Amino acid sequence: MGSPMKIRATSKDGVTEIKVLMSHEMETGQRKDASGAVVPAWFINEVTAKLGDKTVLQAQWGPSVSKNPYLAFKVKGGQAGDKVTVTWVDNKGDTRTDTATVS
Amino acid sequence: MSRFSKAAALAGLLCLGTVAAVAAESFPGVGRPATPAEVKAWDIDVGPDFAGLPKGSGSVDRGQTVWESKCESCHGTFAESNSVFTPLVGGTTAEDMKTGHTANLRRTDFPQRTTFMKVATVSTLYDYIRRAMPWNAPKTLSDDDVYAVLAYLLNLAEIVPSDFTLSDANIAEVQAMMPNRNGMTTAHALWPGPGFGTEANKPDTGNTPCMSNCKPKAEQVSILPDYAWNAHGNLAGQNRAVGPVRGMKTGPDEAEAEAGSPALALAEKSGCLACHALNAKLVGPSYREVAARYAGKDSATALVGKLKDGSEGVWGDIPMPAQTELADGDARVLVDWILAGAPEK
Repeated sequence: MGSPMKIRATSKDGVTEIKVLMSHEMETGQRKDASGAVVPAWFINEVTAKLGDKTVLQAQWGPSVSKNPYLAFKVKGGQAGDKVTVTWVDNKGDTRTDTATVS
Repeated sequence: MSRFSKAAALAGLLCLGTVAAVAAESFPGVGRPATPAEVKAWDIDVGPDFAGLPKGSGSVDRGQTVWESKCESCHGTFAESNSVFTPLVGGTTAEDMKTGHTANLRRTDFPQRTTFMKVATVSTLYDYIRRAMPWNAPKTLSDDDVYAVLAYLLNLAEIVPSDFTLSDANIAEVQAMMPNRNGMTTAHALWPGPGFGTEANKPDTGNTPCMSNCKPKAEQVSILPDYAWNAHGNLAGQNRAVGPVRGMKTGPDEAEAEAGSPALALAEKSGCLACHALNAKLVGPSYREVAARYAGKDSATALVGKLKDGSEGVWGDIPMPAQTELADGDARVLVDWILAGAPEK
């Protein structure tokens, strides 16, 4: 259960733009700490976004995605008042879901 | 601090009392004292004690509206963007807000230092946004909009809740929550701070002014031999004619020696050389190419017409715009010069 995502969704001319800022360490598993021990991999590997009840984006991520990832995409449809739900699952099985309202 | 502040304060007092009078007396008929309105327009700084802070307020919601219209394109929706400027928000924790020290500043592996990780006083943010933002139109935000944008930023930095309204009345409470509020140090040899000028915090320069038994002033004891004067060409010609330093004349005047053809100067003045070069194709064909194509043909008059009216399709798709500003005589000079092979001299 990481810290909350920031989600902004705006609808204009029948297109909803969704922007998400996730808060995650995104460790690649390639780095070593000061004592030379490998820092274990810890990254988001699954992202799902729903507009209302419909899944509009599914992504499989890997260790190459940056710390605190920023994701922005546009979807046809959606209007002010709709719910946007974004969920991530990381490789430790941790998950977080956040919801925002389209404006 | 004490020494400097006293001097500064004294200077300030003197200024307040006497500047207007001095200006008027020393230079009669020159200038006038600044009016209170002019001083007010100039004097917009906000101090860490909130002196100079205008009255007003702005909500996070209003700030989001302003942010999305004026700030987002450079700083990103969540002030997280690293593409134009460094990120404003991020890297601070709730723990930092308790201690007043940003823990991530001590981490060497932390990717970036954001504004909110570093800034100690919220007044600095207000002052800076009001003074310098938006980048393309500084000082265009109203005082309330500055409050609103700052409230939105504070909300993004998770310092205030999303229904917060920032105002001159509660900004001091926000200051007490700033993540790096205790992170400012003045114990160094840089102004301002108590360390300034003290023995313990000397600047790292060893440049002590000589007060007694000083070396005599330097005297010139040798001079370049004549044959070496122009080893680097004419120094005078290599200096910009700005300020007191002109450089010595150490050789023949290159500008005189290389004075180009008057037609070349005319071509430069008329803007021809923006698109044409003497010997290389730029946007338009080179003058040597033009001369080669029309060699042996009596086409000068036709070319003068093309210069004046513009032309298209002869040398490719890019049209030559009509040069309506060009005088007839000048056009003729240019055409003759081009047909002669565009000599540089």
